Amino acid sequence: MTSDEALMLEFQGGSRAAFEELFARYRKQLYGFFGRRLNNPERAEDLAQETFLAVIRAASRYEPRASVRTYLYGIALKLLAAERRKFLTSGTFGQSASEPKTDGTPERVLWVRQAIEKVDAQEREILMLREYEQLSYSEIAELLRIPVNTVRSRLFRSRLALKNYLESGAKTNPALRASAGQPHPGKRGMQ
Amino acid sequence: MSTNRHPIEQEELMAYLDGELPMDRATETLSHVELCPECQTLAADFRGVSQELMAWEVESPEVGIPSAINVALGERLQKREAAQVSSPRLENRVLTSRWVWAGALAIVCVAVGLKLTLTSRNRSEDRSTAYPSMASIEQYLMPDRNAEIAMARSAAPEAISSDAKILVLGWRGYETAIEGKNGFVCVVERSWTSPFNSAQFWNPKVRGPVCFNPAAARSILPLTIKRTEMVLAGLSKAQMIDSIKAGFDNKELSAPEPGAMCYMMSRAGYLNDAVGHYIPHLMFYFPPTDKSSWGADLPDSPVTLNPQFQGGPEPITEFVVPVSKWSDGTAAPVM
Repeated sequence: MTSDEALMLEFQGGSRAAFEELFARYRKQLYGFFGRRLNNPERAEDLAQETFLAVIRAASRYEPRASVRTYLYGIALKLLAAERRKFLTSGTFGQSASEPKTDGTPERVLWVRQAIEKVDAQEREILMLREYEQLSYSEIAELLRIPVNTVRSRLFRSRLALKNYLESGAKTNPALRASAGQPHPGKRGMQ
Repeated sequence: MSTNRHPIEQEELMAYLDGELPMDRATETLSHVELCPECQTLAADFRGVSQELMAWEVESPEVGIPSAINVALGERLQKREAAQVSSPRLENRVLTSRWVWAGALAIVCVAVGLKLTLTSRNRSEDRSTAYPSMASIEQYLMPDRNAEIAMARSAAPEAISSDAKILVLGWRGYETAIEGKNGFVCVVERSWTSPFNSAQFWNPKVRGPVCFNPAAARSILPLTIKRTEMVLAGLSKAQMIDSIKAGFDNKELSAPEPGAMCYMMSRAGYLNDAVGHYIPHLMFYFPPTDKSSWGADLPDSPVTLNPQFQGGPEPITEFVVPVSKWSDGTAAPVM
């Protein structure tokens, strides 16, 4: 399996196939990244696309110092920050983008989303980068420009906080807990 | 949990579960956790939180490359081509030549593959139904990520595996636990890398530590990853076989690269109920090849033909050569 970094260098060298492979590897992951943070499928798709466009535009400047994964999430974080600024400026962020769309969303997913929303914002980002993007501590530290030890301590706090929020939610609705932890053999989920 | 009673901090326990502790500290942590109910509870809490979070899946729409990206891509590649002095006639010649070779190879593959398929029908195969269907996913997972990392590394001598990339099996498939430096990739394979007609195909006890060299990591490891993805997605064996065939047809999967091989020298593995951890050995991969060209399975020959891919959808021949030592340098039993 060709590494992401080798593919990126091949793309720099003019290979369309290398870009298509990178696109295939990361499209769903980037969509998931934005989807969980914006709760807005259309914007998630737009911004995932924007990320790849940024890669194309900046391809000649890419240097294999960092992994392609952190490179992509670095771009994605910048786009996310810009998106949030845009909504804050227009005063609509809290109404349209961060409010979960609940139509048809399973109760258990809402329970998880609401618990995550309660976690401190800085800690939440670290938690999500670890749990959903599955980045290492050092990758998160590099992306957020904070020491690795800070990543670890914030992750620790956020997980304990999340555990408490989940438990308190489950107390009011025991059915959530009863269904929790069951595997989903028929679905592989986001990759 | 106070540090007076526990030699590890709670944060360290979390880092251990995330595979983020150095090996010596991880070993110390594991030794403590095995004996400490309080830490076991905390570890279960951390795992529980991670598991709960998996409920929030985000389904991406299945789309091809959007037109805006295609346009930008086309523009960039055009600009690049314009800036280069190229030799299209030479490129065409190479391309044509590649197609000719690919066609010839395909004909040889079909012929040799057919022969091997017919031959393999004569092999006695245990078709018992000890494991007739897939067990629950948990039974195939290793709850201790560091133990899986250590087992994966044990596939090859430390001089190789210490700089290898390590993959571990998670709920969503194999994921990178440790990045590597030397191009080798170590992984603990599960039962579904057995032949599709093997009675061990769903044996949840199977743990096959294997360390692929760079050529095999590029051309053989994708088969393990693909099979695993399909198993976790709940595909039937027939669907998996069709998908693998299609994967080779559409070039998503490729023939073994020249020099593709792997180390299986772990004494910690469990390859199936019949052989347990078997003997330390190396495996070499080729496009369909007559076993006589390696003298495999001849009297006193140390080389055997591995049935892993025989009669299967993967056009691959795999030879096994036993070695005399386990990866830790200790002597192995003589077979």
